[in-house]
Amino acid sequence: MNPLELTLGIMTAVGGFVDISELVFAAKAGSMFGYALIWVFVVATIGIMVFGEMSGRVAAVAKQPVFNLMRHRLGLKLGLVTLLASLIANLITCAAEIGGVAFVLNYLTGAPYMLMAIASTAVLMASMWILPFKWIERTYGLLGLFMIVFLVALVAIKPPWHQLAGGFVPHIPHGLSTKELLIFAYYMVAIVSAVMFPYEAYFYSSGGIEEKWAPKDLPMNRITCTVGFGLGSLLSISILASSTQLFMPANVGPELLGSSALEAAIPFGTTGLLLALAGMLFAISGAAIETCMANAYSLCQFFGWEWGRQRKPWQAPRFTVAWIGFFLLALAIILTGIDPMNLVEYAVLFSILVLPLTYLPLLLLAGDPSYMGQYANGPVGKTFGWLYFTIITVAAIGALPLYVITSGGQG
Amino acid sequence: MSPDDPIKLVSQVLDLPLLDVGGNYCGIVDDIELTGSAGKETRLAALLVGPGAYEGRLPAWAMWLVRKLAGDRITRVPIGQVASINSAVKLKVSADSLGLHKSENAVRAVIPHVGAM
Repeated sequence: MNPLELTLGIMTAVGGFVDISELVFAAKAGSMFGYALIWVFVVATIGIMVFGEMSGRVAAVAKQPVFNLMRHRLGLKLGLVTLLASLIANLITCAAEIGGVAFVLNYLTGAPYMLMAIASTAVLMASMWILPFKWIERTYGLLGLFMIVFLVALVAIKPPWHQLAGGFVPHIPHGLSTKELLIFAYYMVAIVSAVMFPYEAYFYSSGGIEEKWAPKDLPMNRITCTVGFGLGSLLSISILASSTQLFMPANVGPELLGSSALEAAIPFGTTGLLLALAGMLFAISGAAIETCMANAYSLCQFFGWEWGRQRKPWQAPRFTVAWIGFFLLALAIILTGIDPMNLVEYAVLFSILVLPLTYLPLLLLAGDPSYMGQYANGPVGKTFGWLYFTIITVAAIGALPLYVITSGGQG
Repeated sequence: MSPDDPIKLVSQVLDLPLLDVGGNYCGIVDDIELTGSAGKETRLAALLVGPGAYEGRLPAWAMWLVRKLAGDRITRVPIGQVASINSAVKLKVSADSLGLHKSENAVRAVIPHVGAM
């Protein structure tokens, strides 16, 4: 293991962990329920560690990305259903991310939101065209580390650490009315969805193939998933905890994306605000690229087309057309004038509905010795895999009724 | 596994990705062609690649949609051109020599070949 590569990989995972949905739901969760939802972030983060590690292992051992093998395992019909569901979920998520980038640029420059959406999409597409895979991943992931200002800001406002620590213990707050309990349940489902978005595992797996992982890279895969995702999740938890300290007592609902940035502005003034907005800009931009690439990867892998951004755009032509097309479709969704905060809700809702369908093939593949040989899931992998599959299935079943009953968490 | 070994056709070959001799993706095994008849030995003659080979695997309405969107082309890959079958089917020859990269090449022709690192 190259220590520099490992460190860079972990830092990239940390900086690339948070996206618009985590920002929005962490801030809202803290303002509504205090520290009580921290443990849900922890549970969901262990889930993405489990499935992320599996997808990296499948890439390193079977040398084929998950979507290639998924069609072989599920067959054409069920495979097509999974592909379509995943494409729609990722497209909505990508549109929400582009809207988020446009919002942040609007805060920073004052330029019109729609103009910023077009400009940011053009810049993201240009960086996809110009930069090879590793540069894309590292650039946005490492610049996303500006988000660490949220963790520093939390320390600076001196929260009651013993109460905050209590949030890590799974519990449901006492004294909630039925309506509040349902909203709490909706937030649990939304956080699981936001942390375990399907694009993350597919992007990670395809990235492993792009970087030509082999079984010797499995320890690096395991460390990157656990340490990188774990530290990344701490950033989300910091946003939740700061929101608890700053917004909950004032009875402020952080409905806007910019509300989260205020968490860094309160202890550190303009510098904190700018660092927070810079972190949000790069983290959300990185997520926009990841969702778009995940869709292009899935489509090309399903039909056996050339794919990958280690190759020049003309060396994988249909892959290039696919990611350009998905970016333009996502931009078109934003240009309809739909509120990106609504898109975040739809992305989270649709993603959780399709999450079991998208993670089942991964679970089957990682446990199949005919593909994985000695690296197939052992007892621990199987137990955690099926446990989390059960959790996301229960969340998927509950998501739509909870969304309708609570009007999307509004009550 | 070599192509001459006994193969569980559906579970081991169907829907596997194809890689040409240069390691380039060049389609998926969408269907298979068999030789032989009742009472005689059945052997795998070719792998069939392309949207036309979905016929019979998708409902009629979905097949109609596939034809409209992607056409009904089928490319035949003789089994003699297969080098190995594992998590992908590896070919002994280039994708171009079998006509497997026609669409890829057509799209490549319209993409600017500039500006990428």
